Amino acid sequence: MTLALHQLASLLYFAGAGLGALGLRRGRSSTLASWLLGAGAIAHAAAFAELHGQSPPVPLSSFPAALSLISWLVVVSYLGSLGIARVREVAAWVGGVAGALTAVAVFGLWYRVPEANPAAAQDEFWLHAHVLISAFGFSLLALASVAGFAYLAKERALKRKSPVRLALPSLESLDRLGHFTLATGFALLTLGVATGFAWVTGRNLSPWTSHSLGLMAAWGVYLLPVGLRLVRGQRGDQPARSVVLGFAVLLFSYVGIRLLGVGT
Amino acid sequence: MRLVLVGVNHKTAPVAVRERYSVAPAAVEKLNAQLVLDSRVQEAALISTCNRTELLVVTDDADVAIRLLHEFFRDAIASGAVEERGHFYDLGDAEVVDHLFRVAASLDSMAVGEAQILGQVKSAYRAAVAAGGCGPVLNRLFQRAFRTAKRVRSETGLGASQISVARVGVQLARELFESFDGKRVLLIGAGDMAESAVFGLQDAGVRDVVVVNRTLEHAERLARRLGGRGSPLSELGRELIQADVALASVQVDSPLLRVEEVRASMAGRSGRPLLLVDLGLPRNVDPDVNQLDDVFLYDLDDLDRVAAQGVARRRQEVEPAEAIVREECERFERWQAGLGVAPILSAVVDRVRQIADESAQRAIGRLDEPSEETQRALERLARDVAGQLLHTSLARLRAEAEEDGASYYADAVREIFGLDD
Repeated sequence: MTLALHQLASLLYFAGAGLGALGLRRGRSSTLASWLLGAGAIAHAAAFAELHGQSPPVPLSSFPAALSLISWLVVVSYLGSLGIARVREVAAWVGGVAGALTAVAVFGLWYRVPEANPAAAQDEFWLHAHVLISAFGFSLLALASVAGFAYLAKERALKRKSPVRLALPSLESLDRLGHFTLATGFALLTLGVATGFAWVTGRNLSPWTSHSLGLMAAWGVYLLPVGLRLVRGQRGDQPARSVVLGFAVLLFSYVGIRLLGVGT
Repeated sequence: MRLVLVGVNHKTAPVAVRERYSVAPAAVEKLNAQLVLDSRVQEAALISTCNRTELLVVTDDADVAIRLLHEFFRDAIASGAVEERGHFYDLGDAEVVDHLFRVAASLDSMAVGEAQILGQVKSAYRAAVAAGGCGPVLNRLFQRAFRTAKRVRSETGLGASQISVARVGVQLARELFESFDGKRVLLIGAGDMAESAVFGLQDAGVRDVVVVNRTLEHAERLARRLGGRGSPLSELGRELIQADVALASVQVDSPLLRVEEVRASMAGRSGRPLLLVDLGLPRNVDPDVNQLDDVFLYDLDDLDRVAAQGVARRRQEVEPAEAIVREECERFERWQAGLGVAPILSAVVDRVRQIADESAQRAIGRLDEPSEETQRALERLARDVAGQLLHTSLARLRAEAEEDGASYYADAVREIFGLDD
């Protein structure tokens, strides 16, 4: 059932992405795309409820479960951001990112659904805190990178003065979305790094794994957009570029090295 | 009598070429008068807007006039620059009528349906009248053009939902800004188009307007009308730092805003995007400014491309307007055809009057010492009879000529009355 609900969620995310992309090509935003993402998020939430309805609960610390959580939070963060800025038009990209991450998670879950672990549930508070906070931070930074990428695409179209423009949100809306998601996402990422460090030191594990090194590298890269955007108040294309770069490093540090089989 | 028009506009030449042939409003009348002085030209008008410069003449020899107008463009307007002939169009007679009517009705405008063009054509007409360039043909042509424009505005939806420069400006600004709340518009110069664009942005929600002009007094006067404040041109760099949208419309020979100046202003904006709309001709802003980060520069050609999307969507509204133009063109051509028989009709009247007078004199000669009163009565009688006979037939002749062309009737009348002798 968990697997089926995940597959449904992934399908709905991709459908939302497709419809959103069609809207972009036709020069108008698609409300239905956002609704499809919302439906996908509900199916996804049902999958989590089913997974955690087991007794004792299945931990989210496994790679596919954490990836699934991140993709769900990306969609939830996007839907929440609609109240902050007029960015309905980025549904295509949000759906694409969420659909892809969920698809990878589905593949992982199909390969091996995480097993219930009573011991882990009792004494691994820091691990759970690390996974939940980092996943939320990751999802917000994913959204920040979508906003940054959309900003750069829009800027390029405006500079080239192309008569056929993608129906992207205004630069100001994208900048506002980028600002909010970067500020919140970076704060959560910092907290995620701190809770992860607390967990490994509490269990006398080595903090110098490829996963932790990658996360710290990504955190370091994010200092550039954070410094530009949040400290110096810089707007425009420079913070947008550095947010996209930061997310690329973050994605590689978390997903890339695991897929390459070198992560721990 | 031939109508000839030579011109360059936004459809045939990029702004970089058009700006070489643009004429400042203050110079239009002088150049028009200069053109009228040429003996090969009977009537002349010069139309110069931000999108076109056109010379329109009435002449006897179209080929000679076309050569003359190209020379005039090269020598008098572009001060001897090498003429880019490929960017020019030469129109004659019916094409001229159709073109002028379409221009006045805003069907040939960058933003089809915009209202400013009619005012600009009226200004050109006034300048031509003041320069002594308007005779019976151009007077009639311009009046019919104004009538056509009026009909298009009142009888079609083109005027009601016009795509104006203001609308295009607002459309572009919306690509950058989520809302216009707290946004500042900087108006550089005091052109009609820029002013109209400010009105459009104000309708969309802009409240903060600053006008920069060479003369502070003019800036403040315009600012009062727009509900903003005026500032001298020396403060342009500082004002640019605070602006979100800047509209430039100044009569200049070289760009007012260069890369260095805009770069210096952008350094103080922390990456805040700036929409720069250059409505000037010659251009007010160096095109390379668009290469700067976070600056989005749009000139008249770029606005043309943006507006073209709207035109495609509004083709249905354009078609009835085109029908009105065709109808008015036919009406003018009929009048023009009638004008062709006018000298013949005049000669007929003169000939018949001469016959009547000679007949009256012969009758008077046969009378024995007629009184002056009798002589006058006979002369009047002869003219009245001739007039009565001519009136209906000449009116009919003119109407027939307007319907079917002057040539056949003109030849027939010449033959009947022996006017070639």
